[in-house]
Amino acid sequence: MSTIAVDAALTSSRAESRAHRAVRRRRYLTTAGTAVLSLALVVWTILPIYNMVLISLEPEGDVFTDHIWPRVASLESFWGVLTQGHWYLEHFWRQFANSIYMGAMVTILTLVIGSLTSFSLGRMRIRHGWLVSNAALLTYVIPASFLAIPFYRIMQNYGMANNVWSVIAALVAFATPYAIFVFQEYGRSIPIEVDESARIDGASPIQVYLRIYLPLMAPALVAVGTYAMLLAWNEYLYQFLLLSSKSSMTVPVALAQFLSSDQSPWNYMMATAIIYALPPVAIYYAFRRRMSAGLTMGGVKG
Amino acid sequence: MDTTSVVEIGRPSVPRETVWRSLRGHLKGTEYTWALAFVVPYVAVFLTFVAYPVVYGLWMGSEAGLYRELFDDPIYQKTVVNTVLYLAFGVNVKMFLALLLSGFFMRPGWWMKALLLIFVLPWAVPQISTFISIHWMLNGEWGFLNNVLYTLFHVEGPHWLNDRWTALAAVIVSHIWKWTPFWTLILLAGRMAIPLDIRDTAKVDGATGLRGFVHITFPLLANLYLICTLLSTIFLLGDFNAVYFVSGGGPANTTHVLATLGIRNAFEIAQPRLGVAAVMSALPLVIPLVIVLMRKLRTAEVQL
Amino acid sequence: MVHLTRRSMLRGSLALAAAKTVGVPYVARAAATTATVWFAQGFVQDEDVALRKAVADYEKQSGNKIELSIIPFAPERQKIISALTSGVVPDMVDSNPGEILQLYGWQDMWVDVSDVVETQKSQFSETALLAAQAYNNVTKKRATYGVPLRAAVVPCHIWKSLVKKAGMKIEDIPKTWDAYFDFFKKVQDNLRKQGERKVYGLGFQVTANGVDPYNLFMAFLVAHGGQDIVTKDGKLHLDDPKVKEAAIKSAAYLGGAYRDGYVPPSAINWNDADDNNAFHAKLMVMDVDGTLSTEVAIKEKHPEWYYDEIVTHGAPGYPNDNAGKPIPSIVGYTNGLIPKGAKNVTVAKEFLKYFIQPKVIGEFVELGLGRWLPVMPSLAKSPFWQNPKDPHLKGYVQQGLLGPTRPDYYVFNLAMAEVRSQHVWSMAMIDVAKEGVKAEAAIEKAFKRIGEIFAKYPMA
Repeated sequence: MSTIAVDAALTSSRAESRAHRAVRRRRYLTTAGTAVLSLALVVWTILPIYNMVLISLEPEGDVFTDHIWPRVASLESFWGVLTQGHWYLEHFWRQFANSIYMGAMVTILTLVIGSLTSFSLGRMRIRHGWLVSNAALLTYVIPASFLAIPFYRIMQNYGMANNVWSVIAALVAFATPYAIFVFQEYGRSIPIEVDESARIDGASPIQVYLRIYLPLMAPALVAVGTYAMLLAWNEYLYQFLLLSSKSSMTVPVALAQFLSSDQSPWNYMMATAIIYALPPVAIYYAFRRRMSAGLTMGGVKG
Repeated sequence: MDTTSVVEIGRPSVPRETVWRSLRGHLKGTEYTWALAFVVPYVAVFLTFVAYPVVYGLWMGSEAGLYRELFDDPIYQKTVVNTVLYLAFGVNVKMFLALLLSGFFMRPGWWMKALLLIFVLPWAVPQISTFISIHWMLNGEWGFLNNVLYTLFHVEGPHWLNDRWTALAAVIVSHIWKWTPFWTLILLAGRMAIPLDIRDTAKVDGATGLRGFVHITFPLLANLYLICTLLSTIFLLGDFNAVYFVSGGGPANTTHVLATLGIRNAFEIAQPRLGVAAVMSALPLVIPLVIVLMRKLRTAEVQL
Repeated sequence: MVHLTRRSMLRGSLALAAAKTVGVPYVARAAATTATVWFAQGFVQDEDVALRKAVADYEKQSGNKIELSIIPFAPERQKIISALTSGVVPDMVDSNPGEILQLYGWQDMWVDVSDVVETQKSQFSETALLAAQAYNNVTKKRATYGVPLRAAVVPCHIWKSLVKKAGMKIEDIPKTWDAYFDFFKKVQDNLRKQGERKVYGLGFQVTANGVDPYNLFMAFLVAHGGQDIVTKDGKLHLDDPKVKEAAIKSAAYLGGAYRDGYVPPSAINWNDADDNNAFHAKLMVMDVDGTLSTEVAIKEKHPEWYYDEIVTHGAPGYPNDNAGKPIPSIVGYTNGLIPKGAKNVTVAKEFLKYFIQPKVIGEFVELGLGRWLPVMPSLAKSPFWQNPKDPHLKGYVQQGLLGPTRPDYYVFNLAMAEVRSQHVWSMAMIDVAKEGVKAEAAIEKAFKRIGEIFAKYPMA
């Protein structure tokens, strides 16, 4: 493999400056390429969201118009969401708090249960551990939306109907297998010797789990944690099914109300969706920074 | 870094007991208790909240008569074709984009981070509103997309949702738009797990760009990529949202997939068993996937 | 009959007292007095408020408790189906969607509520009473499983301002069916001559999505003389030449209008909300769409539209058939239902008896701003419905309650509900509209499928 360094050492100073120019040109091209790609990505990402913003700014919530810029940028809908100004959104802040609670519980439980399981299966290599990961796969053989009826039934049997924990339990049951798979797969790239040396130094399994395994798994924890949080954040079917009062549900339940009729204030729907999307992004961002900062052992910089 | 365990059979490698195992003296003592204690929470979740519903679900779709009724549905064949296309393009294009983009987002710089922030938005925006908005955006007369085409180029855009193939493409693109960010983050995490020294060595060797990707990065990511692809396929099979809201299965029932057909059967025709049967009719596809996944996950336990 | 009259007289003057005398013995006896009630969320907030108020009033009077869950349309349907399938049921639900009464009536899963209906029998419209029944495939008999609460019908909605702009007059719209719709083709032609780039005469929902296309097609089928497609005994009559001819004419007209460019091209893939959106964007001059939601939605923001620009053709206005005879309108109902296995049937029945007292149910319906119709003709005489200042309500209630009406066909045979959810008619319309198939061939195909669906529900 020829390298630039080798080339440079072998050539004259003129050639060297030429090589420098080539490097600079390549860097310039890379930057330009990155910029073009970034721009394309932004347009691609923003386009449908821009359409949502456009609808949210329509004072009458019209969805069919002939313009591509907001006619009158009416922030009424955003204000309406924040002040619970529409009856579909009468519990907005309450539901928002529920979203945070449910999101936090589902995330924490999924991460704890998932990482403990993957630690036991992947690092400690418990005998017959494969049985657990194979069984977990069964969760996905029938899609969640088609398990609504059995879930409804089982929660009644457990006396968990109308209890917010029934939804949390269902979501954790769906999210954990995925967490286990990703953690196990991710954990493969962390040398087992790391654990072993800690063990030889006298650390107990729980210490290895807490002090070594979890910090090293940070990127996967953040990715899967975001997944679990958003699963809870945007879920509504199981909430309708298992809970009975709207004030105990999360914000997507308010969004689902807009589909109750063939005529709804679509601007409010879009404004709600946009406002509601921001916290998860912020949370992901906050944790992402921490994950790259805390990861010195894997030697990775984000 | 080679180790083997009890599940490792027929692989020619130097057997070496892990310290865990040698200290544990073959699954005895406190180590075993710890390991057991760590899996107990999940096993409990599985037994209480997964085993029963899944078995119940399988039972719901176990009647042979259901499948006869299902196959008699005149739109079933088209639905199967759509499902295959949806899976083939939806999953693979999305995963491939995610693989490339996860590399792109490894680049340093504050604006990469800012870009990532924007990039994850589609994932965070609630599905119902997003897909409905896309449905309107693609409207032939007053949709945003055609308004743009008309304003900028004075072209009357096509009626995107009026033709089976453009409608199906719209659904697939919507799905890719919505879910690429998520898989990108997962693969991004995977890339971060590649030890820096490996990457540095590769860089010094000049294995940057495509060559570095093919020889260094991809082999290390391959297993994760495969597992994610398989899981994504299984997830997508049951996901009805994009089709339901973007094309609504139209025009003329030509863009249904098994999941939307199942939803229709379960909740509009009020025959939940027929609905479960619709998604279960994909089991010939799902079971091989599950078997591959099981094998992949098993080997995952013993490598490195 | 004598018996009935005596009862209704009693009620007429002393409605509350009567409810109490019926109720008291149950209350005294029942140990568990909490009943769970699920109800679909209202179109406007006032509906929910009215429902809560009715529940609160009942609780105060009876001493019982009603645990009320108000749930949006789509999730409630899934919740009801999950409950009935799994066997853990609430004490009362509303029929959401309407045909759920017949669907689960077939499987013998509702409690007979004829005793509840009996308390107001003379008040209900005949169509409402008919639509509250279902065929039970276990007992092989029809029985009353629903308590009619409210109704909806399909009128025509017209932009008067667009008609005027085309240089035509709303008063000149012909009164017979085909000519009526042809008129709007002329409106479109005139508007196009004036340079309107995007306006269509007819907002036909020729889509295979939602419930609108079925309603549209059935309105045309009945108008063209195909009303006997399913008779009261639940029998299917596809071989009736009149039915076949009507179906062909309907498919030819609806699909043909699209093919000829009189329907917005996107209509082929609209969802239930899109025709309202398109109508409000003045994409079309008229549409045929269930309920007054088109008008009610804009009342607050655009009173000038509500009062001056949009005309509702209920009665009068809704066209007669091509021979000039009035056409019965197909009415859909919301019924109160009690699932078998409910823990507290007595309280549920008692609550329903309370709820359907004309005063209570009348107020509940009126708070929906006119989206829902009452089910008792006497309620149509209220100042709300007869308000001379309101341009829409009077004609709507005339069409859906006082004029000639008939129930939807799934009441006679629930196979028709599946014909709707499988969008069989839509496929025929689209075949004609887009694929250039002859209406005869399209209907041939549709009839074959309808025959197959009906074969799944054999009735004794």
